[in-house]
Amino acid sequence: MVGNDNSLRTPLSRVRFLGSARLGAEENWMIRVSSAALIPLTIAFVWLLLTLLHKDYNGVRSELGEPLPAIVLLLFVVVGAYHMQVGMRSVILDYIQGQAREWALMANSFFAAALGLACLYAVLRISFT
Amino acid sequence: MAATNSTPTQPAQRPLSPHLGIYRFTLTMAMSIVHRITGVGLYVGVLLLAWFLIAASMDASAFATFSWFIQSIIGRIVLFGFTWALFHHMLGGVRHFLWDAGYGLDDPEREQLAQATLIGGLVLTIVVWIVGYIVR
Repeated sequence: MVGNDNSLRTPLSRVRFLGSARLGAEENWMIRVSSAALIPLTIAFVWLLLTLLHKDYNGVRSELGEPLPAIVLLLFVVVGAYHMQVGMRSVILDYIQGQAREWALMANSFFAAALGLACLYAVLRISFT
Repeated sequence: MAATNSTPTQPAQRPLSPHLGIYRFTLTMAMSIVHRITGVGLYVGVLLLAWFLIAASMDASAFATFSWFIQSIIGRIVLFGFTWALFHHMLGGVRHFLWDAGYGLDDPEREQLAQATLIGGLVLTIVVWIVGYIVR
């Protein structure tokens, strides 16, 4: 939101008594909900990676083809991509101004969605082929 | 209001809100910055997970390329950094949950909490890597 430089009113007086945008709390809450989910999912994810560490291609595929590891990965990827998007959004809003902010927010959403969907597709393909 | 010497075309020199340059260094401040840096690092580092999963979903030669990279010195350093960032950021999240619940905000507790998060992240990382090298 860019203020009108020709106005004699100060930025403060333009927003005074309008109250908050009434949009902040939801983002705040969703980063916490996804954080709470990611604590057990991260532990399960690291555990899974440790079991995969010394396996070759066929070993990795048969392990990831099992339901439980695949479900852990799907949950980690879905919640992680969402958490990434919300977290990077707040970083962008802090450091980038003007039109570059809109481009950065768009790129952030595209990156998180593409990465999440690519990982989902890969896990499902391993499970079902 | 008393008249000032500044010309009307210049913006008023109002005090800005205090920022990093004016505060003395504290551990909680550094941990806040590192939490954000590890978050951005993980954001980029997840590309490695995508590479791993896509390679495993393709064929043996694609997987061999990924294996070659992750077993190289640079691959191991990147993976070590990713592991640390993951644990540090996770424990940072736990710390934020404690604060949200109203615990650990006072003077000795918040410093101890920051130290515990810092040490905990390093210890978890090293333990996981030792387990990774020993257990087969």
